[in-house]
Amino acid sequence: MLTQASRIHDRSWVVQCALSRICGGCAMSLGRPVAFLGTAQEVGRNAFHLPPLHVECAEELARELAAGPGAGTDWRLVRTAGFEFARPGRDDADQQPRFVPNSLL
Amino acid sequence: MAISDVQQYMHLTDEEIEELGRELDTIRADIEESRGAADAAYINRMIRIQRGLAVAGRATLILGTASRRTRVPAAVAGAALLGLHKILENMEIGHNVMHGQWDWMNDPEIHSSNWEWDTAQPAEQWKHSHNYIHHQFTNVLGYDNDIGYGIMRLAREQRWNPYYLGQPVYNALLASLFQWGVALHDLDIERIRKGEKDPAEMKRQLVQILSKGRNQAVKDYLVYPALSGRQWRTTLIANASANVARNLWSYMIIFCGHFPDGALHFTEEEIQDETRDEWYLRQILGAANFEGGPLLHILSGNLGFQIEHHLFPDLPSNRYAEISVRVRALCEKYDIPYTTGPLLRQYGQALRTILKLSLPNSATSSDQPEPPTPPRDRKRRSDQERPSRIAELGVWSRGRSRESKVS
Repeated sequence: MLTQASRIHDRSWVVQCALSRICGGCAMSLGRPVAFLGTAQEVGRNAFHLPPLHVECAEELARELAAGPGAGTDWRLVRTAGFEFARPGRDDADQQPRFVPNSLL
Repeated sequence: MAISDVQQYMHLTDEEIEELGRELDTIRADIEESRGAADAAYINRMIRIQRGLAVAGRATLILGTASRRTRVPAAVAGAALLGLHKILENMEIGHNVMHGQWDWMNDPEIHSSNWEWDTAQPAEQWKHSHNYIHHQFTNVLGYDNDIGYGIMRLAREQRWNPYYLGQPVYNALLASLFQWGVALHDLDIERIRKGEKDPAEMKRQLVQILSKGRNQAVKDYLVYPALSGRQWRTTLIANASANVARNLWSYMIIFCGHFPDGALHFTEEEIQDETRDEWYLRQILGAANFEGGPLLHILSGNLGFQIEHHLFPDLPSNRYAEISVRVRALCEKYDIPYTTGPLLRQYGQALRTILKLSLPNSATSSDQPEPPTPPRDRKRRSDQERPSRIAELGVWSRGRSRESKVS
């Protein structure tokens, strides 16, 4: 259940999800595989901004985004066993923390 | 003294700290690219050894205590084997698996999402209190709950009150009951006392703790003693001894990570708008290593490389030794303190801090190193940069008073 969906763009929440290894959508422990929801560009770069999610939460979030604030975006879901958490550098063009799946399934 | 700006404290320029960040990123990338079958074989070997120790320990206690002649040696050997099993499982396996160090293997069992370790704290709560609170806010006063675990005063900036006179006793209790102290850590009793904790969350956590604690107690103090038949009491004592040994060891290793002299504290101003490079620097300054051979490092979960663990908590622990060589070279290059020493010296310093801070600041002195002087006074100079007076060795060698008379 997406109890935390409103926080998926909140930087501190994203960091907490990354380190505590909890789902950004429901705040419960992540399972395996881990799901990331991203745009085609994020999938192409293999670097995601939304926090890690359960597969079910990602699917539900994709539906909600498509029907609301993310309408018009081609949301794609990738599955991975693990991920790297990359903090942005001072002069990075992208100043948001990123997730890099390291074992795509 | 707590630090409010690590870059300023270290007198590093913007370019220097950015270059440091890039070089640490390179180390990370190198390890990520090179991890593979040898690393997977390492963690699988550790798990086989740990399980072998557990089986050997349990079997020794159940079978060896049946005979009067072998009872005592079997109890001692069984407790030692069980203690080693618990230490290896908690330190090198559980702690590191829950950081996600081995998730890349895509192993259904060795994964941060489903590893449940052999100690009283539920894995989910550990991943919050340790992976997030401690690793994100390392040594930041008021944020990192590991600074004193909510019961002790471990920084001079923490206000003293008479309660802390009992600190040596609290420390001894925490050390011997460490798994239970850790089990309660994420509950945040201070917030409960102030009425700030969400009751639903508190209830959920309490149910988890009671369930996990009950399972641990039933396993060690009911099921296995019962399997020993008439020698249940011997097995129970051996199991308790193994738990206490694990508690004392893990307490000592963890306290050596952040409380020896040289591991610094930070104020909340430091983490406001902190960049990745400053975050790296805070991890180096806030952690302390200890030295030892490969066996010591394995039994301490490679936390003798605490600095490297804090820089790269999700890289495989078996690679920290090689990472440490490169991190240490970087610290020398940028003149950043790299705190390390023998295990007993590091623990001795942590224990001294515990004892000293049981008293008010006015009664003791600080053991923290002096802040670094600006780079103009500490960097290695070329001959051209040295003042011309250096050639006048006769004047310099006669000492300051004579020199001042000459000038």
